[in-house]
Amino acid sequence: MVSNLSRMISGGMMLGALLTAAPAFAQSIAEKVEVCAGCHGHDGKPSDKSIPVIWGQQAGYIYIQLRDFKRGDRKNEMMQPTVSPFERDDMLAIAEYFAQKPWPDLGQPRAPKHVAQQALSAEHSVGCTGCHLDRFQGSGTTPRLAGQSREYLAKTITDFRTRARGNNPGMTDLMLATPVDGLAALAQYLAGL
Amino acid sequence: MNRYSIAFATLFGLSCTLAASSHAQEVTKQDQWSPPREAKISPITQEQLNAADKSATNFLLTNGNYAQTRFHPAKQINRDNVKNLHVAWIFQTEVKESLETSPIVIDGVMYVTTSFSHVYAIDAKTGEQLWHYSHKMGPVTTYCCGPNNRGVQVLGDKVYLATLDSKLVALNARTGDVVWTTDIADPELGYSETMAPTVVKDKVLIGTNGGEYGIRGFVRAYDAKSGKLVWNFDTIPENSVGVWATKDATGRDMHRDIQAEKDQLAKIGDPYKRLGGGVWQNPAVDLATNRIYFVVGNPSPDLDGTPRPGDNLYTDSLVALDLETGKFVCHLQYIAHDVWDLDAVSPPVLVDVKDKSGKTIPGVIHAGKTGHIYVHDRKDCSLIRFSEAMVPQENMWVLPTKEGARMLPGANGGVEWSPIATDPGQELAYAINLHQPMHYRVENSPYPNGKLWLGGAFTAIPGEKQSGNITAVNYNNGKIRWQVHTPEPMIGGILATAGGLVFAGEGNGKFAAYNSSTGKELWSFRAGAGVNAPPSSYSVGGKQYIVVGAGGNTQVNFRRGNNIIAFTLD
Repeated sequence: MVSNLSRMISGGMMLGALLTAAPAFAQSIAEKVEVCAGCHGHDGKPSDKSIPVIWGQQAGYIYIQLRDFKRGDRKNEMMQPTVSPFERDDMLAIAEYFAQKPWPDLGQPRAPKHVAQQALSAEHSVGCTGCHLDRFQGSGTTPRLAGQSREYLAKTITDFRTRARGNNPGMTDLMLATPVDGLAALAQYLAGL
Repeated sequence: MNRYSIAFATLFGLSCTLAASSHAQEVTKQDQWSPPREAKISPITQEQLNAADKSATNFLLTNGNYAQTRFHPAKQINRDNVKNLHVAWIFQTEVKESLETSPIVIDGVMYVTTSFSHVYAIDAKTGEQLWHYSHKMGPVTTYCCGPNNRGVQVLGDKVYLATLDSKLVALNARTGDVVWTTDIADPELGYSETMAPTVVKDKVLIGTNGGEYGIRGFVRAYDAKSGKLVWNFDTIPENSVGVWATKDATGRDMHRDIQAEKDQLAKIGDPYKRLGGGVWQNPAVDLATNRIYFVVGNPSPDLDGTPRPGDNLYTDSLVALDLETGKFVCHLQYIAHDVWDLDAVSPPVLVDVKDKSGKTIPGVIHAGKTGHIYVHDRKDCSLIRFSEAMVPQENMWVLPTKEGARMLPGANGGVEWSPIATDPGQELAYAINLHQPMHYRVENSPYPNGKLWLGGAFTAIPGEKQSGNITAVNYNNGKIRWQVHTPEPMIGGILATAGGLVFAGEGNGKFAAYNSSTGKELWSFRAGAGVNAPPSSYSVGGKQYIVVGAGGNTQVNFRRGNNIIAFTLD
């Protein structure tokens, strides 16, 4: 984690410098986002299970998260300095770049039937598919959950519940209303899709 | 509307979700052998639209006509022969996702839409595709209850579409080419469009979604030729406080703490800027008085009243405006300071009704999420009567708690966005209903800058059975004439015809015809996906057709599909 952290911080500073210097160097988006691979993976598979997959993620969602990191609405000691120099067009371009990448297969096993049923029971109580859609692929500013890292999903659910992640209070409300015994099952089920 | 009050607990839904593995917006293989063709229609005149209720050939507006009666005058398909109804054709769209479209038909050309704002022109006799408009969606879409689209309208030679990324688009009705595009509002702040525009007298009328995101709602008129804004009406006035109503429109106590609200108002001021008030469905147009009538949705946040002291005008209300100017005429609020999301979404209908003295007057009726059909005087919006409840009501109006308070109806209703139909000859209104027992939970959080802002959650109650019904109500006395119970909650809409029939679909794929006087089922068909869209009727070559979308529903999570199915007789 320490090495990841230092990589991200230095990477974030470097990316910021690259973007602000863009007119002079006219770098492609691919070159600009190279630093992201340090944590989010050169092949789309994150270097740490607590880091989300962003390859193939919904562009609107990526953009909103970058925007929220910059605003400070979403807190993360690595991401906030990384995105601070970004302008809106940069964030939209980066979001589109990653959205066009193929979603990586993390090799997470499909949840056993009893876990899936427990997860779906929890899902039914609050209706996750109302936004994430029936196959949990997301759309627009709603993220894809299917195949996301199980550890990241579990951490995110917890962070919403504790309000450690504060940039979507609607999700906090929903996660607080979801039966507690179904939350781990939900993360396992979604990861295995 | 309600994003999270979903919760279906059927084995059908469970198996469907367990089997899911690929992309939500499935794109089927396009027919490479059929290049775009012209939709050979003559320009639609305002006179044709004005007389839409009398046309057995066409289905010109989302809800049939400007009064929104959803009563089609064709009677070739009737109680005697409907048992012989069969599939004429099935058109498969390229989008397998929630399908709420109301097909419109003009001179043998059908226009339908799908989720993600696609439009198709189809030969209404054969089901062949003429052209397809695939909207280039912006990256930011922020919407409630699915990426739906409920349809288009045509005036002159243009088709008008409102899109999920909050744009208004005019297409060439013959080719599908874009004529103009106008930005309606900023999707980053929670605005989106799923309703069909209503086009009248060179004005394109459109509301907005966003009541779950702290928007300030509106209805607008845009110039049909240029796309320029003609007028704007904010559904939330700068003084949204109202009269501190303690009872709902039916006279039940809503348990408001008025003093606490007044204290909060003194502290934070009028909350009008982020108070919600989306308009989900088409306005009815009274051509005689040049007025429009529409209903306004819930306040933001849905369940937490703390940040919004006052009655929260004009949320949960029927509102009338002058068509030419957009000036306010009258309103009636069904629920002041709503903390249950039992708002007003089903499109209002203009019919003549009996007033309290028995005199026939121009009326407006609206089917509420509460399960009542409300009957108004069109002159001043005042309430004449409300019907018997069409769904169980329990524990109304218990206030939401952190642990969850049980109350019926659940937050989807009653009647959701589903348009009702009427048969003036029988003085009946037909509505489809949901029955979903729910817990109402409240949480408090500050305005999240265009993010989901529910102020709590609605949760299905494990073990409590959900169901639905089709109900016929006599709007002149408020009594239920007949009711058909269905195994699942109903969402989508209904059609009545002069053939003495009503048509409605269910989430399990059943699409059926009923005797409009008795509710007796006379015919049914299994579509393989949820039939959760309003049916339409039209005639081509002397044959009457019934058409409906079968694509399931995001909001209640009914099985998805991508079919437009037309039925006819031999």
